[in-house]
Amino acid sequence: MSAAKVKMREKKMRNQPASVQYPSSSSNVESSTQNGADAPGTGKNADPLKGGLSEVHPSTERQKKTPHQSGWVRGHHKDGGGYTKEMPKYVTAGAFARARAAEVSAMLKAVRKTTSSSRVFEALPKHMRRRAMSHNTKRLPHRLREVANRMREKGLQAGSKKKKEQAKSKSRKARRRHGNLLLEFNRRQRKNIWLETHIWHAKRFHMVKKWGYCLGDRPTYKCYRACYRAMSSHCLLQDLSYYCCIELQGDEDKLLAALSQLTSKEAGPTFAAALCLSGRRQGSVMVYRAGWYPSQPLGPVTFLWRPRTQGSVHRQLWIWAHPTLKQDLLPELQTVCQCCEAVLPPAAPVEVNPTLEAESEPENTPEAKPVPGTKRKRSCKDATGPPAKKILGDGTRLRSTPVSWRSSSNGIVINDLTMEIVRYRLIGPQSHSVLVDTLEAATGCDEVPKSQTCSLWWPQHCSDEAKMTLHQQQADIFNILKGIYSTAELPSGTVLGLTVDDPRLTLPRKRVKALPCVKQAQEVDEEKRRKLMLEGVPEPCCQSFIWEQSVRDNVTDNKISEQELNRMRSEVLVPGSRLSPTPLQGRVPILLVEQPGKQVGHEMSSWGAGWDLLLPKGWGMAFWIPLVYRGVRIGGLNMSLKHSQNKAAPHFPRDYPDCPAGMRFQEEQEAELLNKFKRHPPAKRTNYIKHGCVAPFCCPWQQLAEEWEIIVREGGTQTRTTAQADAVTEERTSQQAISITKPPSRFTVLRNRKALKLLSAWCRPTTSKGQRPCRVGELPPISCEAVTSFLSAHAMSLVWVHVSLPSKGKPEYHAMLCVPTPDDLKALGNRQGTGGPQEPPHRDHFKGRIKRRKKDPKKAATPSVTPDKPDGKKADLIFASDLDTNASKDPKSFSESSSDLVLGLWPDPLPSVASHCSRVTVGWVTQGDFSMSAGCGEALGFVSVAGLLNTLLNQTSEHKGKLLLRNPTSLHYRFAKINIEV
Amino acid sequence: MRTIFLFQESSSLPYTLRKRLPRKLPKRRNDVYVNMKTDFRAQLARCQKLLEGGGHREICVHGLGLAINRAINIALQLQASSQGALQLAANTSTVELVDDLEPEDPDEAGEPMTRTRNNSAIHIKVFYPDAQ
Repeated sequence: MSAAKVKMREKKMRNQPASVQYPSSSSNVESSTQNGADAPGTGKNADPLKGGLSEVHPSTERQKKTPHQSGWVRGHHKDGGGYTKEMPKYVTAGAFARARAAEVSAMLKAVRKTTSSSRVFEALPKHMRRRAMSHNTKRLPHRLREVANRMREKGLQAGSKKKKEQAKSKSRKARRRHGNLLLEFNRRQRKNIWLETHIWHAKRFHMVKKWGYCLGDRPTYKCYRACYRAMSSHCLLQDLSYYCCIELQGDEDKLLAALSQLTSKEAGPTFAAALCLSGRRQGSVMVYRAGWYPSQPLGPVTFLWRPRTQGSVHRQLWIWAHPTLKQDLLPELQTVCQCCEAVLPPAAPVEVNPTLEAESEPENTPEAKPVPGTKRKRSCKDATGPPAKKILGDGTRLRSTPVSWRSSSNGIVINDLTMEIVRYRLIGPQSHSVLVDTLEAATGCDEVPKSQTCSLWWPQHCSDEAKMTLHQQQADIFNILKGIYSTAELPSGTVLGLTVDDPRLTLPRKRVKALPCVKQAQEVDEEKRRKLMLEGVPEPCCQSFIWEQSVRDNVTDNKISEQELNRMRSEVLVPGSRLSPTPLQGRVPILLVEQPGKQVGHEMSSWGAGWDLLLPKGWGMAFWIPLVYRGVRIGGLNMSLKHSQNKAAPHFPRDYPDCPAGMRFQEEQEAELLNKFKRHPPAKRTNYIKHGCVAPFCCPWQQLAEEWEIIVREGGTQTRTTAQADAVTEERTSQQAISITKPPSRFTVLRNRKALKLLSAWCRPTTSKGQRPCRVGELPPISCEAVTSFLSAHAMSLVWVHVSLPSKGKPEYHAMLCVPTPDDLKALGNRQGTGGPQEPPHRDHFKGRIKRRKKDPKKAATPSVTPDKPDGKKADLIFASDLDTNASKDPKSFSESSSDLVLGLWPDPLPSVASHCSRVTVGWVTQGDFSMSAGCGEALGFVSVAGLLNTLLNQTSEHKGKLLLRNPTSLHYRFAKINIEV
Repeated sequence: MRTIFLFQESSSLPYTLRKRLPRKLPKRRNDVYVNMKTDFRAQLARCQKLLEGGGHREICVHGLGLAINRAINIALQLQASSQGALQLAANTSTVELVDDLEPEDPDEAGEPMTRTRNNSAIHIKVFYPDAQ
């Protein structure tokens, strides 16, 4: 018997009584009975090989030589295991029992005693086991309960000795006590900013940490389709408070002069657009670095001017920007406005104390930890002091960080109002009914004694006649909203200021669905409604007190707590009725801003229109819950992406590859996707080299723009058949690889409106069925000269296109947009049913290298043989040319960076991206999905202007704007129609 | 979206025309708004389903502008296929539509305008006459 076997046997016998041997079969018992009477031990079956064991019965030792008897022996036995056939003649009961008394008692003992590793319920058969049996002994059958209880107590006693000290300070009850919970929350908010609805979201959403915030990405329940339906027929609510607001104050002309450096009229209306300047509309604009217009864009912002106060040139402007944009925008604004003097925040004692408390108290807790006994008392003492205050606004910022900058030369003041204003977005045609249902214009307060000086803002305003008439007008206009049936009926970007009652007062007892009421609608004056629809809100009514810092602070400080409100509710005579009179604190100034829906294209116009609701900070949850109770759906970041996709609008920062924020986003996305890719086992990864996909995770826009610029410059624009052009393309690209190009200029995204319009007209098929001939006034038709002159200005540009797949196919991000060959188009004309051409599979010649390196890391350092050529005629050509140029330098570079080689991905010096596959690539898709509004696949992406024009020149008018789209994980090209929408 | 030229008193500025959606009343279950994008047969089948499977005694077929023709067509087809069991009652109306005009040149001078125009609409009630 080997040592292992001995060991195992020892383990088995561990719990056996020392004096007893168990026979392996009953026949042995029989045989021993015969001897049991006269000579105890003679018939004992002993294993001859078991001599090494210590617990061998002394009596058996004499019998060791009996070869035909077997005891505890496993496996094959040399002697064949023969047994004695002799049967006993008689059994003496007394002697027999005595001889076995020891064995029986040992057996009983063994059965009763459980080993430490096994639990009571393990004795039960599988079908009788229940969940959490070890925790709740009542789930066990009655007969086992007592044993289980005993064991549990024993376990608890053993465990408590070690864990006791920690557990005491961390009892759940203590942790969940309001003050302690708040401290914990405040501690967790110091790294990432929490929105006011964070707790609500955290219970229902997958949270992500992005841009310094904790944001809800998507709900944990399944609601993708329901959210889409809400957007297109009812209302979807989003918390957009993470958008940063930057406030500019100063004289109008000085502000405009400063801001005009950041924008250009060529790219659309600027900050100075008349309607926006009056404060009646919200505007949106693309911001560039000062004076750099076509290059160096920063990103899109929306802005809102405060309506003029009479006889004053002092203006106030809010610029709303995405958090990733803010870090670029704020320094730019400071230089433009020459605001370099930081105004230190006033050290108001009221404000400082609670935050100091909040910051200092978490530090106290670890100190208290080592002394577990006193911990609880300590925290009680803390609680008696001034309680920790909930963090409102930005909790990550240090106290001393300046939030305000002033210019000494022109008097402009910049305030950073990040997290000072809550912004909710309601999307959908019924969002106005939700608003009308939830909000109620503030009721006046007549019974306030005027002599009494009141710290609240509303009573003071009530005493002012002019303010009250304005409030009345605003309330009237708000009531007209009851008479409209769809949010899209109003002029886009309309602004309405209002003061409303605390919406918690009118909270319905059950969740209801807000719907427009025909009866209410008919009560509304038709004439007024018409005026609102045509002209929007008159200028004075756009005024709101939310613009004033003092009023905002007042409202935030004097909010009635939930507890107080519940107490007041409980005192109402009829349960569930509205609280009256309205408590004085419950008036909130708000601002409503209409958001335009889909504005481009012919179909689904004004899809996804809605309202934005701006609130002073601290009131977030007070408005959130009442809105949720009106039957809206809640969306996260995921839904806002889908919203912009269905609107065919670019989504920041994803669709701004030329902005710094967009570049950062791309890098992050690449790292994330690469990580995900590497998490798969190599055999389960998509081999992107075989799919002919050069850059599956990150689109090399710069390289694409450069390649196409060279192709076009060196003769691609001449009219010839596409095949020839393609051949040229390949040659050029191969040449380009050798020649060191001039210091490249950065690519830009074309945003010049006139140029876009021209391109858009050129992309449209002119004589297709169902398309009206384009009636673009004096736009020149596409021709060589026009294209050349166009390209001289925009050769290094990309253009934003909207792609729709008329037949099959669901585009994914980073899908390639390629140029169809004339044969493809011919096939398309012949049979509509054909799905599109196929890409011949490529060969992965890096695979061998990776394998070799794995086998022998030293050998891999030597340059490898020339890689195999991919299949397919054209691909062959490209590769031949490609590799001739690259072969000399590539292997070295690969071997140097051999650690970067990932199976299925092209290593870093990418081959020519334009002509890598059998169809020439002109661009990539940045976002794409099956569009539920269009009923087919739709995508948004960028194409190189040079590539696009080159393609368009060679296409017949019938097939203008037809491209091929191929997903990175597929070899199948699908036909796609591109639209450039202005 | 179209580019149009408005001849104002001062100068001719190019404007972009953007049509707003027509005003829509809240829809009942038996309202059918006819459009020109959906397949004709699909719209007809929908009406038939409402009348037969849906258990409605009457439905309303609405058509605006170009779709008037199609709305009439659908109503007549329904009547013909019911072997005279269905009756029609047509009403016409005028719908006010709103267009937004946005200046192409984002100059401070050019202000966005709105204008209204009228379009005809038809509302056809298709119903089973009462037994009496």
